[in-house]
Amino acid sequence: MAPAPSLPIHPPNGPVNGDASKQPPQGRSSQKSMTKAERRELQEKQRAAKAAAKAGGPVNGAPSKQAAKPTPQATAAATPKRPTKSNEAPAPTASALRTQTAARARAASVSVPTPANARGLRIFSHFGLPKPVSVAKGDIHPTILRLALQFSEFKITGANARCIATLSAFKTVIQDYATPPNNTLSRHLMTYLSPQISHLVAARPMSVTMGNAIRQLKLEISGSDIDLPEQDAKDALCQKIDNYIRDRIIIADQVIEETAGNKIKDGDVILTYARSSVVQKVLLGAHAEGRQFSVIVVDSRPMLEGKRLLSVLASAGIQCTYILLPALGAIITEVTLVLVGAHSIHSNGAVYSRAGTALVAMMAKLHSVPVVVCCETYKYSETVQLDSFTKNELAPQGDLFSSFPSVKARDSLTLENDEHLEILNPLYDLTPPNCITAVVTEVGVIPPNSIGSIPVALGRLL
Amino acid sequence: MSADLHGSQRAVETLVSKLRRRQVVGSREAALETVLVLRQVVSKARFSNIDQLISLIRSVGKRLVEAQPKEHSVGNTVRKLLHHIREEYNTAMTGNASSSKTVYSISNFVLQGQPRKQNVAPKSEATLTLKENDPDDPDSFARVLKPVLMEAIQDVLDELETVYDNISKNAKDHIHSDEIILTIGHSKTVETFLKVAAHHRSFTVIVAETGPSYNGHEMARALSSAGISSFLVPDSSIYAIMSRVNKVIIGAHAILANGGMFAITGSLLAANAARVHSTPVVVCAGQFKLTPLWNLYHDFGALDFADPSSVLGFEEGNLVDKVDVLNPYYDYVGPELVDVFITNDGDHPPSSVYRLIKETYDDDDHEL
Repeated sequence: MAPAPSLPIHPPNGPVNGDASKQPPQGRSSQKSMTKAERRELQEKQRAAKAAAKAGGPVNGAPSKQAAKPTPQATAAATPKRPTKSNEAPAPTASALRTQTAARARAASVSVPTPANARGLRIFSHFGLPKPVSVAKGDIHPTILRLALQFSEFKITGANARCIATLSAFKTVIQDYATPPNNTLSRHLMTYLSPQISHLVAARPMSVTMGNAIRQLKLEISGSDIDLPEQDAKDALCQKIDNYIRDRIIIADQVIEETAGNKIKDGDVILTYARSSVVQKVLLGAHAEGRQFSVIVVDSRPMLEGKRLLSVLASAGIQCTYILLPALGAIITEVTLVLVGAHSIHSNGAVYSRAGTALVAMMAKLHSVPVVVCCETYKYSETVQLDSFTKNELAPQGDLFSSFPSVKARDSLTLENDEHLEILNPLYDLTPPNCITAVVTEVGVIPPNSIGSIPVALGRLL
Repeated sequence: MSADLHGSQRAVETLVSKLRRRQVVGSREAALETVLVLRQVVSKARFSNIDQLISLIRSVGKRLVEAQPKEHSVGNTVRKLLHHIREEYNTAMTGNASSSKTVYSISNFVLQGQPRKQNVAPKSEATLTLKENDPDDPDSFARVLKPVLMEAIQDVLDELETVYDNISKNAKDHIHSDEIILTIGHSKTVETFLKVAAHHRSFTVIVAETGPSYNGHEMARALSSAGISSFLVPDSSIYAIMSRVNKVIIGAHAILANGGMFAITGSLLAANAARVHSTPVVVCAGQFKLTPLWNLYHDFGALDFADPSSVLGFEEGNLVDKVDVLNPYYDYVGPELVDVFITNDGDHPPSSVYRLIKETYDDDDHEL
């Protein structure tokens, strides 16, 4: 039972660190333990769900499944606030849960769920699917627990960083693994790793890089020699993991650094968005080679990652300018080259990257500035994505990244959901292929409509 | 009398310093204050022919415009006032002329002014006897004309005060049920427009935060407290959600003579993303924002620059002197990106803005 690499949208769920002890309070609120208000509210919800199911067919498939859960999960058809509440449903304390349901009961009585009102918010309800229940704590390796915690708190971000961290954690897990009697490593190790993987996915949806790496790992595991003694088999696997990291990420980055670095000429004004580890390496490498150029770092909420890139570049001595995304229109006329990174690339040439990259690419194309995407081949995904809604991730609510300026008074900012207000922070978006000039990979510089030939170029099927 | 003059001069000086120190926030506020100051100036002014009055107002207007050149509504209000004054004067003069003939026909009204200014004509009926430069009674001209001018100024004031209501008059025709509307920043005009439409239609609004001022937060709060279902998203997701958006409704700071406009930074991104997705862009702006100036954008200084600490503050200590930070407050959005301007005077496509300007202002006043 391997988790699919590309998952539907999962809501953020900061405080859940795979702590299973926090799950039972929800399960405990069966019909008996709920207060009268909660029961009434649940009945109303179910009634509304039935009515909406009659009205709006398959759209309600997911919401009515939610209603079936014992916890007071929301149906999107009922009150506008409910999809959000289902995000926050696994609240750490029972008291928070009580206030939540009280608030929802209030909301249910206040706002009449007219079909039209509900529809506007239902369009985004798939952003708020509930998280799957996580496994019991005992089975999860402590390294994986720690990694999941780091993921859920966004301490490790970026496709490459997450993949390398995951693979390193798996190396530890594999070394600590002992094949139970009457089992072979090649068959049992996979079933042992699956719950660990699900735990990581529950903390934060899996990135395409992690998915590709894990798929490769599974291939290696199932292909491992049955006759090898256990320790040798484990060492061989760890060696394969190291090779994967070295070949597909580290060396690939070096090749990309050189290839993209050759595109940078003296006097260039290079624009980059947010923080890509590959672009950082390219810029530092080109600067070390002595090319004279300046960099404009464009940044935006929710993550404001560009500041980290800015400090790295500025301490290396590169001349930098820093702007927020809305100011792009004023500065794009000065730019000669746009370099961005990617989370994944798709076979139709679309690039799935940090939210805001599509805007940067669009503005650059309008001003005839070349847009170069630096991306390793292991980020290639065979799926075709058409827009940013098919697959996306929401950042957790609140000011997790301290991304509001300190000069702005906190009470002038809206940081919480309201009866008619919902805060969405999508983390990714899709740049269509017509905005991209070229993709630099370790197998060469490829135009976007030839991305589908990457597996061929690599000589094997991904 | 000299005290009167000082009084009005003091009012002008106060407004000049307020403008220079940017204590007047918002183009409508600036326009209102300008009208009030000019009303004081006109009421206390002494003139014996129309040119004196006009040059007085122009000099006051020039001072106000120079105090804050980026606040275009100040200059626009002065020009509008001058236009009204000239019109009143012309009506009064020709009204006199026609009263001396006994025939006073409606066709004169129709022929003399612009078609839309019909409400101005009836005021100066053929009861005024205007004598310019009367050597015996130098104040007679002013005395006779002033009440008429005061009414004209009151007209301008009324128009400014009812701007929001007039723009929102046809709101329900522009927004349909179940639409998803994108807006950015916090424009009072758009807020009123949406609130009025919400009485008749139910729709959803997505508000982009619009860093670094993050005015979008107030807008989202205002809309949601009025019962409109709203989403607050960061600017980075404007392109991502544009495929679901039916209409983009934004406000303007100033509308230029070529049909382009200055709007809060981020509008250019939204307008371009909308164009890529073939989504209509609707701009709600009062008529006082029409500026008879052509595309000033080639000058980088046309954009107002705000405090960089909202972008990169001093808490980033060691970066502050190594890095350039840019924080423009306005974007220039070209006429090809806007589909319609909704003003208190009706809806206009960008291609007919030049005609509006010709009708609203006099050619002599383009340069104050």
